[in-house]
Amino acid sequence: MSELGRILIVEDDPKDVELTLTALEEYNLVNEVVVTRDGEEALDYLYCRGNFKMRTSDNPAVLLLDLKLPKVDGLEVLQQIKSNEKLKMIPVVVLTSSREERDMVASYKLGVNAYVVKPVDFHEFVNAIKELGIFWAVINEPPPGSIRKK
Amino acid sequence: MSKPEISSPRVTVLKFGLAIVSVAIALGLALLAQVYAIPNLEFPLLLCAIAITIWYAGNGPGALALLVAVLSFEYFFAEPRFSFYVHPADRPLFVLFILFGFIMAWFSSRRRRIERELLEARDKLEIEVAERTQQASLLNLTHDTVFVRDMSDVITYWNRGARELYGWTAQDAVGRRTHDLLQTIFPAPLEEINAELLRSGRWEGDLTHTKLDGTKIIVGSRWALQRNAQGQPDAILETNNDVTERKRAEGEIRKLNEELEQRVVERTGDLEMVNKELEAFAYSISHDLRAPLRHMAGYAELLQKNASSSFDEKSRRYMTMILESAKRMGDLIDDLLAFSRIGRAETKKTKVSLEQLVKEVLSEVRPETDGHNVGWRIDALPNLYGDRAMLRLALVNLVSNAVKFTRKRPQPEIEIGCVDGKENDIVVFIRDNGVGFDMKYVNKLFGVFQRLHRAEEFEGTGIGLATVQRIIHRHGGRVWAEGLVDQGATFYFSVPKSWEE
Repeated sequence: MSELGRILIVEDDPKDVELTLTALEEYNLVNEVVVTRDGEEALDYLYCRGNFKMRTSDNPAVLLLDLKLPKVDGLEVLQQIKSNEKLKMIPVVVLTSSREERDMVASYKLGVNAYVVKPVDFHEFVNAIKELGIFWAVINEPPPGSIRKK
Repeated sequence: MSKPEISSPRVTVLKFGLAIVSVAIALGLALLAQVYAIPNLEFPLLLCAIAITIWYAGNGPGALALLVAVLSFEYFFAEPRFSFYVHPADRPLFVLFILFGFIMAWFSSRRRRIERELLEARDKLEIEVAERTQQASLLNLTHDTVFVRDMSDVITYWNRGARELYGWTAQDAVGRRTHDLLQTIFPAPLEEINAELLRSGRWEGDLTHTKLDGTKIIVGSRWALQRNAQGQPDAILETNNDVTERKRAEGEIRKLNEELEQRVVERTGDLEMVNKELEAFAYSISHDLRAPLRHMAGYAELLQKNASSSFDEKSRRYMTMILESAKRMGDLIDDLLAFSRIGRAETKKTKVSLEQLVKEVLSEVRPETDGHNVGWRIDALPNLYGDRAMLRLALVNLVSNAVKFTRKRPQPEIEIGCVDGKENDIVVFIRDNGVGFDMKYVNKLFGVFQRLHRAEEFEGTGIGLATVQRIIHRHGGRVWAEGLVDQGATFYFSVPKSWEE
């Protein structure tokens, strides 16, 4: 585990955030995690504006995106990312409760890199988060310009 | 038609008698005139007698009268009198006699011919009048409105039906101009209608008329043009039927139809709205109901992990129950969503090899056999035409049911086959030798959340067969089952053959 890519989580439900972080913690992936609580905040982070004016402008290695979000919903965030020259390279994983076909179709049409339905079973959930974390933050080579911790 | 000539012997005798008598009378009168010294009366008197005879008795008696008159004249009046000697100076007189006879004969024959023709013409006319009268009275019998008008629109015939419909009697109507009397409103310019009538000899259409009492009616009108012997149009026969009520009913039906269409549009809109709401509801279940469930399971799991050392046996069991319930609720939500998705999704019809589909289903379901050695019997299966994914889901449900309910058998046996159904159905069946069911609960089998077994006996959400039924119904087919407690069960579904390629 030479480098650890930064994971940006966009999730409005505090419990989901906590459970996700717990799962990542088990595998020491939690240091490089940024949590935003709605679509607007996520975009603020990505565009380095608002509360995130001061951060370095590197992109996260992966974005874990919930679909149902306050203010700006997940599909809109996805659409904005994928239509922005600088942001479109960020791998985006939709992590949602919805197994609805139209959500999947819409996400893939917008160019999502993966679509994961949150399992109800906690073991499966932890496994899913762990695998996502390891794959995207460790195994996957993120596009150049991503934040990585040596 | 000429009357036969009366020519009995008696009439013949009378005719010739007339010749003799008329000449005799003329002779008598002439002799009498001579006695009274009235000169030159004999010649015209005898001519009169001849003329009368020819006129009334014909040419035969006329010839006799001529002969007798000539002889009488010669004997009684021509010099020398009382002898038949013909003085040459009298010859022109005789020629005059004969000439007169011929002229009279000619006149008489003309007269007779004319008389005969007149009689014939009268007979013809009588027959025609009788026929016309009969036709007119027949036309009067009908309740249909029939009238005739001439080419200047003046009514010449008006039947009882016309009186009944419009209120005017024939006396009132005949001689009036139709379109003035009835205040006709035409569906097209009158010139066009007349042009059509003259061209084709007939016209049909709806007219608006005003009755005697002032009410307006709509009539279905048929006009027929009558031409005279020279081919000139001379009358129009108009037959009308009151269609006011029908038109009103039609209008009402049209209005009702429009209302109905409007209502259908509204209802469809309502339904679409309800459908959208349902979809939103299903989406909400999918998303919002699952999240708290995941949290419950997640935190319970974390609690178990952190505190299980300090838990006694009972508490650990409680934790297990909480986790099991959360899992079960997750399954229920998934199944319900799948069920609702079938109702909402469109069926994508393709040719489906049932044999191939069953193979796939078996490999999917096999892990559920838990190492039990199931005796599978798969018959030859036809091709179906339907939504592959849906049919697959139906088969998975049915086969996995069969596996589930034969699990406690030492020798589980499952047969999948196909029989020809009634009319144009293909019937597929899945038979097992499992625990079966009591036929008195057969109606509950396919209901949502209906279960015939306790949860601890056989797991399940009670949605599987409801899903199967919904899928088959969406294919226009039917599902049913037969079973006996402890004797196994057979599930059938039919798909119409018209779906078959």
